[in-house]
Amino acid sequence: MADRYGMVDPAIFEDLQARVDEDISVRDELREIIQTLEKQGKSVQFVLSRAHSTPASAIRDVISAAEGSIRIEIDTISKLSVAASKLPYYKWNSMWSRQIQDAIFGILFCGWLGGYTTESSGGSQTQGRLLTIEEVGQIMTVSVNLKDRDEFHLTIEEYLHALISLVDELARLARNSVTLGDYQRPLLISQFIKDLHAGFQILNLKNDSLRRRSDGIKYRVKEVEDVVYDLSLRNLIPKSGQA
Amino acid sequence: MDGPSKSHSASPFMPMFESFRSELDEHHDRRERVIKASRDITAASKKIIFSLQRVRNLGQPIPPGIQKANTQYWKSIETQYESISRDLQGLNTHRYGRNITGGNQEFMEALSFQHYIETQCLISYEEARSRVFNMNAGGESVLLAPEDYVLGVFDMVGELMRFAITAMATNGVIPGGEAQQNKTLTGIIRSDENDRDDGAESMDTDEPTSAQETPKVPCRNVLADMRELRLQLERLELPQGSKFAEDVEKKMSVMRQCVEKVETALYGLMIRGQERPKGWMPDLREEKRAPEAVESY
Repeated sequence: MADRYGMVDPAIFEDLQARVDEDISVRDELREIIQTLEKQGKSVQFVLSRAHSTPASAIRDVISAAEGSIRIEIDTISKLSVAASKLPYYKWNSMWSRQIQDAIFGILFCGWLGGYTTESSGGSQTQGRLLTIEEVGQIMTVSVNLKDRDEFHLTIEEYLHALISLVDELARLARNSVTLGDYQRPLLISQFIKDLHAGFQILNLKNDSLRRRSDGIKYRVKEVEDVVYDLSLRNLIPKSGQA
Repeated sequence: MDGPSKSHSASPFMPMFESFRSELDEHHDRRERVIKASRDITAASKKIIFSLQRVRNLGQPIPPGIQKANTQYWKSIETQYESISRDLQGLNTHRYGRNITGGNQEFMEALSFQHYIETQCLISYEEARSRVFNMNAGGESVLLAPEDYVLGVFDMVGELMRFAITAMATNGVIPGGEAQQNKTLTGIIRSDENDRDDGAESMDTDEPTSAQETPKVPCRNVLADMRELRLQLERLELPQGSKFAEDVEKKMSVMRQCVEKVETALYGLMIRGQERPKGWMPDLREEKRAPEAVESY
């Protein structure tokens, strides 16, 4: 009888609750993976932060240690990728977006320091290299910038966020390089982040977190220019062609 | 600021950023279209709700005049949904969820309110979703998320409050029960009831007595329905820390207030109803103020 339950057919809310419960269990499953990822991400940052106190001559150790802990992190990302590819990507991606940004940043920084050298790049450890989003995707073994399939992938926005983190980190590294007696690296960093700054300037960013963070890049450019200025004022800049 | 022109042409990253730019522009354009459609859907839904508030009877078809006035707004909603359905497919189904949810919720509010007036029942999620689904004959359609449905129903409680209070002020009774009574009463009385629809405002004299004559008929009024809805909404268990739970929490207190306002109004009607002149409005802090009501009668 319709009158027994009055206005609301209880089946309506039973159905809704079932849908919500399903989402809750998905959330729990994802959260567990993401928490692991968060922890592993911290370990990667811990290893990479040694770059600030390690002279370029000994950086190889830092790189291989970082590559090692990133490998562990990538295992977790693969788990996340499997779990998330069963779900509508954009319904859930805000849950892991920050951790993925951090993971991309770790790989970018490691790559900049000279990690992830391949045969194509000559095999020698050259610092100052920018890994593209495709290269990061290959290292993580996940898709990038998907458009035709609803699966796990890295987004352009996540990569751009990671680039901004890289700029921040390199500005810090420029000063610390001077402390370590490396007067060459700040010049490299200065040019590198100027090039990135120029790139960011052609993007039409909306009023979102990416926009706010990218607004800070110009200050990093300025900071590193100041370092270069301090060096040149004291005639500390190595003669070009020395390498 | 630094002159970017210096390094601009030299930057080796330019091709990469150029491709990012076109990707992002495409994304932002799509988002703008969705936001615009959402706003238009919201505006049209508000107009529908506004004219539905002129209805005085429950459990009966919407009076032709109001139905006719609303047709253009339903049409415009349909056009808007059609216009963005291509933008919300596949991978992008949930991508602009935050941009479309406003329109979806308002649409849900209008749809569930009209459904309630006509049937005195809550429209189900499946039915609501298929209403949106069927708006695009091409097969591609916009998803009405369960979240949109629930949040829209929360807002609908506010419309029920307005509806109940206005009816109480103009007719001196809380609407409801007629649909059930019609089933049990004879056809003669039924046609009598139908006659009354046309001049609802002048026909309120015998309404309380007819309700008293049939006390055994289980007649739900709007307040009973609102209370039931309140219980159901309060009982939902939501994912902790989610955006959904946050939105629901915000709407929960407003929804409770709405139920309580009608309870207060009905209390006033019961205790002092006989002493009040017709058209007296209960003193509510919201948009209904006594002077306004007195003016119109």
